[in-house]
Amino acid sequence: MIEAESAPIQGEHKEVLLDIAEVSLAFGGVQALSDVSFDIYKGEIRAIIGPNGAGKSSMLNVINGFYHPQKGTIKYKEEVRKKMSPHKAASQGISRTFQNIALFKGMTTLDNIMTGRILKMRRGLLWQALYWGPARNEEIINREIAEQVIDFLEIEAIRKTPVGKLPYGLQKRVELGRALAAKPDLLLLDEPMAGMNVEEKEDMCRFIIDVNEEFGTTIALIEHDMGVVMDLSDRVVVLNYGRKIADGTPDQVRANQGVIDAYLGVSHSN
Amino acid sequence: MLYRETGQFKISYAADQSVFPIAQDRWFVSLIIVIAIFVIPVLASEYLLQAVMIPLLIFSLAAIGLNLLVGYAGQLSLGTGGFMAVGAYMTYKLTTAFPDINIIIVFLLAGLIAAFVGLIFGIPSLRIKGFYLAVATLASQFFLLWMFNKVAWFYNYNSSGTITAPPREMFGVVITGPMASAETRYLVTLFIVIIFAFIAKNLVRGRLGRSWMAVRDMDIAAEIIGIRPFQTKLIAFAVSSFYCGLAGAMMVFLWLGSAETEAFSINESFNVLFMIIIGGLGSILGSFLGATFIVGLPIFLTNAPQLVGLSMPIDMQKHIEIMMFGSLIIFFLIVEPHGLARLLQILKEKLRLWPFPY
Ligand SMILES: Nc1ncnc2c1ncn2[C@@H]1O[C@H](COP(=O)(O)OP(=O)(O)OP(=O)(O)O)[C@@H](O)[C@H]1O
Ligand SMILES: [Mg+2]
Repeated sequence: MIEAESAPIQGEHKEVLLDIAEVSLAFGGVQALSDVSFDIYKGEIRAIIGPNGAGKSSMLNVINGFYHPQKGTIKYKEEVRKKMSPHKAASQGISRTFQNIALFKGMTTLDNIMTGRILKMRRGLLWQALYWGPARNEEIINREIAEQVIDFLEIEAIRKTPVGKLPYGLQKRVELGRALAAKPDLLLLDEPMAGMNVEEKEDMCRFIIDVNEEFGTTIALIEHDMGVVMDLSDRVVVLNYGRKIADGTPDQVRANQGVIDAYLGVSHSN
Repeated sequence: MLYRETGQFKISYAADQSVFPIAQDRWFVSLIIVIAIFVIPVLASEYLLQAVMIPLLIFSLAAIGLNLLVGYAGQLSLGTGGFMAVGAYMTYKLTTAFPDINIIIVFLLAGLIAAFVGLIFGIPSLRIKGFYLAVATLASQFFLLWMFNKVAWFYNYNSSGTITAPPREMFGVVITGPMASAETRYLVTLFIVIIFAFIAKNLVRGRLGRSWMAVRDMDIAAEIIGIRPFQTKLIAFAVSSFYCGLAGAMMVFLWLGSAETEAFSINESFNVLFMIIIGGLGSILGSFLGATFIVGLPIFLTNAPQLVGLSMPIDMQKHIEIMMFGSLIIFFLIVEPHGLARLLQILKEKLRLWPFPY
């Protein structure tokens, strides 16, 4: 099935999959992240929350190599990362979805999900030109995996529909499918439930939990709906104005005065 | 009632991924191929082969090439004529230098050289997109033609500045040069076009085609799932130019017999671009439809008035032709970017439900 390439290790001692230490990122004068440190355990659902403009999306962009922090170190799978690119991050098992859907609008659901398998497909131009032997087998094997994802997300009926024609909620689901097709070790979800109705949100929650529980995929999740965050996540990190203001279990975070102030817009001078 | 998928259940992914998943389509295409191979050469006149069928096939191949680049990979190019010229001039150089190499092999080698040239001229696509890229490829068009005009080495220093197809045989039959019959040249063209149309179809339904479309639709997202946009675009330029180069070689050696750089002017680039706009961006079938339309319309306008007993002055024909092209291109660009191919698909969907549309 769609299990991650390596299984999670259960037990008291948590293994750190991603360790972010004192990362700072600025765009010209705008300080998007300042000295942010936190880690993600293997197999957990880690939420990143904070008010608008807090730097949450920027954090994901740093993790998958899209933005390059000016300062700080990032350790992934026990190795300190040097120069990163989105392409390299993908080949190391990091997949993601976007706050604003980033699907390939002109392609069908199936083709979009198949693109998630591209890194796993190796056959060269000549084999593909013939569509025969190894190239054909490769297509079929990867099609099977794409179909498993389609089954899992219950989108069989829209398999051959161009995604540009789908309603918003389904597009979000297809985008999750494309990320899942890569069988990631670390899945980054940027507001996967934004703009959805209650029913769609419930479905999406179920998928996220299932991915995590059945396949052991580690998930970093940005979400504004606090109910969802408290239900889903093992641990929560809170950003505000690019700084980390809290980090802990949902209960700890909920009780944190700094967090309450940030969400109520109270200026906190300390 | 005849066009149905009912009862045709795909029992394997292999079957579902085949080129024509619906049996009727499969039959229809096979039928057309059989007619093209066995019936047309027997029934068609020399004129029909030379003036309609051969150019139609050659332009279809060029249109497929451009469609891979523009329709699938989303990189606008106006350099088609230039890349076709590379194929033609390289075939000429190679076959005059090595007369013993089979001419088909020479076509393919010339196509590879065109692919390399296309790759070089595709490098600006790293930085620029859309309109600006089109202007850059336009520069390549002018540069290449200028070079083939100026550097006499390319036409073996002959005084006329033209390249001429020398007689070349295959299996004891003359297939190029003045002695080659229209039937032979038609059949050779047909085989090459069928093979490369299938290859194009294979490329676009596999990993490469999906990478091209991903880069076309959203290059940032493509990068994040592990596609290298620049490399993907360069491959598109190379493969596209291979097709155009091959078409250019065939144009001189299987159709015109001789040519100057004029034959590959910017007009040709635009013609091929119009073919894919009218036929359908991102469709192999559309490339054929567009080529048929653009090659066929002038011939139709020349002959149709006479058939019904009218006579139309030549310049009037030209005007009607230009007006029709112009309005159709605007129509397709605005209303139906997927062109005739899409209209055909809509028709098929209607037919599938007919006679009970609900
Ligand atoms: N590419 C960029 N160029 C310039 N500034 C940027 C860029 N990306 C983000 N920023 C700035 O960095 C800050 C953090 O933005 P980010 O998108 O990470 O916030 P966010 O927490 O995801 O907010 P939201 O909840 O609205 O999505 C903002 O002030 C934003 O304007
Ligand atoms: Mg954001």
